[in-house]
Amino acid sequence: MSRLSLKIGASGVRGVVGESLTPQLVTSFAAAFGSYSGTGEILIGSDTRPSAEMVKQAAIAGLLSVGNTPVDVGVVPVPALMRHVRDAQARGGICISASHNTVEWNALKFIGPDGMVLRGNQSAELTDLYHQGVYPRVSAAEIPAARTDVSTIARHRDAVLGAVNVSAIRARRFRVAIDCCNGAASQATPEFLDALGCEIVAVHADASRPFPHDPEPLPENLGDLCAAVAEKKADLGFAQDADADRLALVDERGLPLGEDCTVAIAVEYWLRRRPGTVVVNLATSRMIDDVAARYGCRVVRTRVGETHVVEKMIDVGAEIGGEGNGGVILRPVNACRDSFVGMALVLEALARDASSLSTLRARLPAYALLQETLLCPAREVAPSLRLLQQYYREHTLDLTDGIKVAWKDRWIQIRPSNTEPIIRLTAEAPSAADAQALLNEAIERLSPGS
Amino acid sequence: MQRLKIGTSWVRGVVGEALTPDLVVDFACAFGTWCDGGAVVIGRDTRGSSRMMRAAVTSGLLASGCEVIDLGLCSTPFVSFAVRELGADGGISITGSHNDAEWNALKFVGPDGALLNAVKSEELLDIYHASHFRLAAWNELKPVARDGGLAARYRAHLLAALDVETISARGFKVAVDFCNGAGAETARPFLEALGATLVPVNEEPSGIFAHPPAPTAANMRVLAEQVTATRADIGAGLNVDGDRVGFVTRDGVALSEEYTLPIAAGARLRRHPGSIVINLSTSSMVEAVAAKHKQGVRRAAVGESHVVDQGMAEGAVLAGEGSGGVAALPASLTFDALLTLGLVLEEMASAALSLQELVDRLPRFTMRKHELPCPPNVVYKVVEAFRTRYADHDPDCTDGVRVQFPDAGWMHARASNTEPLLRVIVEAATAIRADALLTEALAFARRTMKAAGEP
Repeated sequence: MSRLSLKIGASGVRGVVGESLTPQLVTSFAAAFGSYSGTGEILIGSDTRPSAEMVKQAAIAGLLSVGNTPVDVGVVPVPALMRHVRDAQARGGICISASHNTVEWNALKFIGPDGMVLRGNQSAELTDLYHQGVYPRVSAAEIPAARTDVSTIARHRDAVLGAVNVSAIRARRFRVAIDCCNGAASQATPEFLDALGCEIVAVHADASRPFPHDPEPLPENLGDLCAAVAEKKADLGFAQDADADRLALVDERGLPLGEDCTVAIAVEYWLRRRPGTVVVNLATSRMIDDVAARYGCRVVRTRVGETHVVEKMIDVGAEIGGEGNGGVILRPVNACRDSFVGMALVLEALARDASSLSTLRARLPAYALLQETLLCPAREVAPSLRLLQQYYREHTLDLTDGIKVAWKDRWIQIRPSNTEPIIRLTAEAPSAADAQALLNEAIERLSPGS
Repeated sequence: MQRLKIGTSWVRGVVGEALTPDLVVDFACAFGTWCDGGAVVIGRDTRGSSRMMRAAVTSGLLASGCEVIDLGLCSTPFVSFAVRELGADGGISITGSHNDAEWNALKFVGPDGALLNAVKSEELLDIYHASHFRLAAWNELKPVARDGGLAARYRAHLLAALDVETISARGFKVAVDFCNGAGAETARPFLEALGATLVPVNEEPSGIFAHPPAPTAANMRVLAEQVTATRADIGAGLNVDGDRVGFVTRDGVALSEEYTLPIAAGARLRRHPGSIVINLSTSSMVEAVAAKHKQGVRRAAVGESHVVDQGMAEGAVLAGEGSGGVAALPASLTFDALLTLGLVLEEMASAALSLQELVDRLPRFTMRKHELPCPPNVVYKVVEAFRTRYADHDPDCTDGVRVQFPDAGWMHARASNTEPLLRVIVEAATAIRADALLTEALAFARRTMKAAGEP
């Protein structure tokens, strides 16, 4: 077993099937979550991984044993599940998906009754219950019957469509190529785009088939989608990860835009209609600052992680926000990253402007965003960061999440990974050479002579 | 009362206390490991807690790389049949069986279709205790399949073991108490094929039991009323998971479940001569039936897996216990209430007698059973004392001590498999003699316990 194949963290429990994500672990966590949530209904949805059934049955057993009623909603996008939990006023939800992680992984994501992933103190309480290992089991007579519910996708679709101008989008009759990675959105995305009057070119949207590539919607994974857009002369391409919270775009020429553009285009369009504060994480592109400045809006930055962004949005009353990795958050619809919100806003922006995606992209400022990782044992993380803090002491520092150093038109963030023994370095500058120079400078400090 | 019991071929506990999903997942993983990740048939009874158990079993089996064939609500003998019919590597019947509603259990079926015998159960327990379970990688995980069309094949299989023509000629009316288990769906077409009419009692498969599920005379009172009210020829009280059965005569007399075996044996031996295996505590009535057919009876340790295992080893045609459990080997490798009911109907039809008349032809014995609370650290001393006391009576020490007296009376003293009890069972030709045997045995047991420091 690889040393780090189990991660119990703020966003749930993640492990490798056949190694660390055992049915015993899942049953116990589900029982702990049931105890945490209180008696009532817990919605369970999954993506299309082969391990979904094993994990789901273990979760159902754990929930039943403490008297919760599991509601199996089937294969659904995680944003749809989160919306459903809120709509139905369920006690909570469990999403079975390792999101953008490769297929050997699976995970449980715990959703509170407000339709949000459990926040720091909440997930700490859940983890405490798990570690105490004593769950209030109910007697045989009190074990409820599980039920199924197939309304999740339609509920979510209606909610997202309610936030955009459907007739304007329908009028354009877009031709859209989609790559759902044969994941949780394989049914929902075609239905959703159909409702928006789109003609669909499905590349990987078959839930019964295995993942065609790593589920992270990075440009290197989207070759098939790019080819399909060009070949079928589509207006654009949408790529989602396995649980459909993240969205990447491919323009009408078949070129991937890079995930940071998704949030920038969505935010630009939303602020044009409804100016307001924007919340993004510290690693999100400067494009957001430039876009917000156009409309005289403020940008608030948070630590990396969906829950941090959502919490801050609530605190400052922001409607729109997200994370640079293609995760658009529109609070009136959903308190989480939602690729369907992203698709709707991008399509409406295109419809209103009667323009092409490459034109929309060209209106955004051009930056190069580069990332590097450095292996770093946990015990050396803090000394390394102190060293850098000292090095950059003359500059404007943000220590919310690692170290972020910002100049007028460029920045670098150095932060320890939440999930691996590595340090992540992200730099953005007007040119790739400038961004690389920022990275090299920091790396030279951390490991001289490398 | 101990809330978790692990026995030969089963693990049983009180739901919410000992029987947690964690324990069930572990046992399913252990069984999946024992089956080496092969195909495993699962079925469950109607208890609400069986749904929780089913999810845990499914998950554990899938995680260990097994293909799961889920039969849904069904009887234990149906699981056994499906394992054989599909060539599966094992089966798990999720059922608390005759235990009260707060209990549930897993019964493990081997690739031969029989409950795991002592050796195989040991292997399974060793894997469980070692906790080194087979864990399949993501790309080795198999799907869950549903049963397709096995019910009709099972019915045909049961009918093939019976004299359908003779039974059909009688046009029986049969009242069956399903104890809110899942049996009606199978029983109705089975009885139709036997030319019989079903009068269902407690047919609703709700899992909310109208009475305790063991088919004892006391639990068949409502059935007895229904038999009389509907003028049925016979009443059959099925255990929840369809393994054991007790009977009611057409006059509404609920029989002791001890009568099930000797009456079924009559039909079985008439067309399939061969030996019979029963347990040490089973009534001697069946010995008279076997003698009439010039066949032998052997006694094995108490428990379905023991009598069936020995029966299979000997090539016997019947294995059974006084609890109403009968396996017509090799057609059934587990106790099968429906097939047993079929055999009893066949005996009534062949002999052209009513159930009461069949009972009247059996030798009349009186059986007395008593349970003496006795802690586990003392109970074996008591058993040992019985053994010494009867050393010159050639005692059978397979399971406790069984002594056969020259006058056809016998006494069996054994430690309970399930509770901290000494069980004493005696049988004799007269009630006076039976009472005397019991009194003597209990007095001896109490003296021994006292000597061992127990009040």
